[in-house]
Amino acid sequence: MLGPSLEIGAALPSAPLWFVVSPAIPTLAAAVLPPVLILVLCVVAAIGTLLLLPGRREAALRKIGGAVLLAAALILVALLVRAAAGTGGMGVYFWIFSAVALVGALRVITHPRPVYSALYFVLTVFATAGLFVLLWAEFMAVALVLIYAGAILVTYVFVIMLAAEATPTSGPMAGMAEHDAISREPLMASAVGFALMGVLLFVIFEKADGLTAKPPAASLTYVHQDPYAMSPELASVLAAGNPTTQPVYTAPADNKPASRPSFSSEWQQKVASLTYSNQDPRSRPAMPPTGFVPQGGVQELGAYLFRSQLVNLELAGLILTISMIGAIVIARRRVVGGESVTHAVGGGETVIGPATPIDDDPHSIPVYGTENPRQKAYPET
Amino acid sequence: MTQLALQHYLAVGAIMFVIGMIGFMTRRNLIVMFLCTELMFQGVAINLIAFGHFHGHLGGQAFVIFVLVIAAAEASLALGLVVLLFRQRATLDADAWRELKG
Repeated sequence: MLGPSLEIGAALPSAPLWFVVSPAIPTLAAAVLPPVLILVLCVVAAIGTLLLLPGRREAALRKIGGAVLLAAALILVALLVRAAAGTGGMGVYFWIFSAVALVGALRVITHPRPVYSALYFVLTVFATAGLFVLLWAEFMAVALVLIYAGAILVTYVFVIMLAAEATPTSGPMAGMAEHDAISREPLMASAVGFALMGVLLFVIFEKADGLTAKPPAASLTYVHQDPYAMSPELASVLAAGNPTTQPVYTAPADNKPASRPSFSSEWQQKVASLTYSNQDPRSRPAMPPTGFVPQGGVQELGAYLFRSQLVNLELAGLILTISMIGAIVIARRRVVGGESVTHAVGGGETVIGPATPIDDDPHSIPVYGTENPRQKAYPET
Repeated sequence: MTQLALQHYLAVGAIMFVIGMIGFMTRRNLIVMFLCTELMFQGVAINLIAFGHFHGHLGGQAFVIFVLVIAAAEASLALGLVVLLFRQRATLDADAWRELKG
């Protein structure tokens, strides 16, 4: 291919670290954990989680549950550490981040107060971002922190504050609503969940022999090919030269479109047909027009998104827009009519009646805080 | 420390997914139930990134971007609905809506 085709390693004097150093993670060759042990650990952890979930038990029992869970987790970790020998500085960070992530996740589901659940979830998100960084996905780590911890979790905390309700002020469940203090079917949920976890861990550790890593060098070494470069046919035609004595093209003196001659000779027509701008646009690969060579993880990810996932990207933007419009429409409905369930929310706004829309006429949707003169009553009344 | 392998990351993702699932089935607070679905998203995201790195392909990261998009869209709509539901029954208990079951 004529034209500037770059090989990342060759052309750039200092290749980005991402392409050179990041190896593919291998799979464990031998069986690490016998299946019986996984089963036993899952049963123990299920019992521990069961004791830890919110319920009418005493605090001491819940602490015992937490201790049992912690013991099961430590045994699992110790087995994994002992099973394979090896070195590597990155291993320590993996254990730290995954331990924080899983402990945070456990506290999310077992803490009776929803605000604490949200805050523990922020901790989990940060630990997951650390895991992403270990997997050479630094952009995804930052995006996770920004979007999840920064936007989604803040929204959750706001809604938790808005949807606060009366709680008993004394007793063992002080400060907690009843539905927070007691879980629903903790035994069945723990049993089913840990059965699934046992099966998943079994498959992951025992049956992963079929996983073969493709060598990363082949797929990561992105050979930049410029589709805007001259095709070999065009190059050969131009090299062959103009067989006639007609000049290729000279712009007319007044440079008006009407006075420009069209390509008349056969050679000129062949050149014109091979020229990039005259070809069918659909046959062009989706590539940037300049000699843009992505360097580093973020640029590679962007180039990949716009090269191979363009439709998905546009659909994702569409989904976001639709959800934003939907959220605005939902939030602007005002509740009127019907029977009353009076409840003072936060700043004293009184809300009466069902939250069903009156009709679908957009003019009947009032704005909060205003009186809509065209608001229609409920049809049945 | 042990040699870090793909199975470790997959195990972390699987455990986080199962923890989220248990929480979703167990808790009765609507907001905490949605938080547990976000936990399940986290587990799936870890799996995707691990596999993407394992195969040296950027598709894992691209799909985590889409998972984030879906999670954000779902969180905004779900929280709006939770606020409206809360106004209806003055409680965040999922059991207040039992007649919708089945």
